[in-house]
Amino acid sequence: MATGARKAVYPLFQLGGPQLRIFRPNFYMLAVRPGVPQPEDTVQFRVSMEMTKVDIKNYLEKIYNVPVAAVRTRIQYGANNKRNHKNHRVKKPDYKVAYVQLGRGQTFQFPNLFPEKEQDTETRSLEDLKDKYMEREEQRQKGDPRRGGVPDWFGL
Amino acid sequence: MAAAAAVAALCRRLPGALRLSGARLTLNLFHKGLAKVEPLCQLKFLHTTLSRKGLEEFFDDPGNWGEKSVKSGDAWNIKQLRGKSSEDLHKLWYVLLKEKNMLLTLEQESKRQHRPMPSPERLDKVKKSMKNIDLVVREREIALRLLQTGHEKPVPGEWRHDFLGRTYWYTYKEWPIPWYLNKKYRKRKFYYLPHVDRFIRLRLEKSLRIRARRQNLERKRQKLLQIKFPHLAVKSQGQ
Repeated sequence: MATGARKAVYPLFQLGGPQLRIFRPNFYMLAVRPGVPQPEDTVQFRVSMEMTKVDIKNYLEKIYNVPVAAVRTRIQYGANNKRNHKNHRVKKPDYKVAYVQLGRGQTFQFPNLFPEKEQDTETRSLEDLKDKYMEREEQRQKGDPRRGGVPDWFGL
Repeated sequence: MAAAAAVAALCRRLPGALRLSGARLTLNLFHKGLAKVEPLCQLKFLHTTLSRKGLEEFFDDPGNWGEKSVKSGDAWNIKQLRGKSSEDLHKLWYVLLKEKNMLLTLEQESKRQHRPMPSPERLDKVKKSMKNIDLVVREREIALRLLQTGHEKPVPGEWRHDFLGRTYWYTYKEWPIPWYLNKKYRKRKFYYLPHVDRFIRLRLEKSLRIRARRQNLERKRQKLLQIKFPHLAVKSQGQ
């Protein structure tokens, strides 16, 4: 029915009107790694600005089957101190942060989504090349060791 | 000869038998209230089981962690979705919603770690699919509403003029009292007086002049470009 949470216009009642039963919520909700260490049972989310605490609880319980004990929310102010090439202020968008405490003694640890995988031969050879190049560059920066630290503008 | 005739008869009967078994299967899989019978091949892709994963659904499959690119299929196009039942669309919406949440989580985490997101085109595909589902469901709602009430829009309205002769879409609102008792509504002017005609004319002229100026500018710019890069102009015309 009401897809746009931002401007939900509900259909007026008309005699004999159809009952539209496909509810399509467009709320998003993304888990984020907490910047400040949280208790074990607390998960941090970024949610749609329009969601309330009750919405968040229902969303997790009905769609994800996650038991929820308590929800706390706050609105993070997006930074406004950046300037663009015309020296206008550029505002980063605000977002809502939700701290969800899980019920039934569940705990949550944010996983490492980018674990170091064993490299295949191609990337390893590329990194070897890079290391060698960096070593040579450092050597060039230092100069000729036989000159004993005498700068190269001195002498023929 | 007799054996060949028997084989031919079997072949003639086979598609019917197949269709019958397919229909029975789909009926068993669906709830009983559903009258529409879907082909079996479409059902196979829409598999929804009771989720046991919980919060792990916010993250990709652990096998895909740390990969540079993840393979994915195409977005659902509108033709495929039109063939689905409303129940399937309802389920598919939630599947896509979860997928979108997972991808947004991945995007945010990759931003935080200053790494490229693996296969960011998945997010666009999911958004496109959701837009298509929305379109299809709205089409069906409109069709049903037209059939049952004769109204196309969920909220009725009409084109009206304001006091300056501008035309706009007025949506009907629900009022607690009839319109002739409603002072606030009576104060609004949905008409314009004859002396406004002149200003309507002026407004029209202004918009036409702006449009003509923009078109002239574009034409001039193209001519200038053709003079500046004649070889490119010839090439593009030749193709």
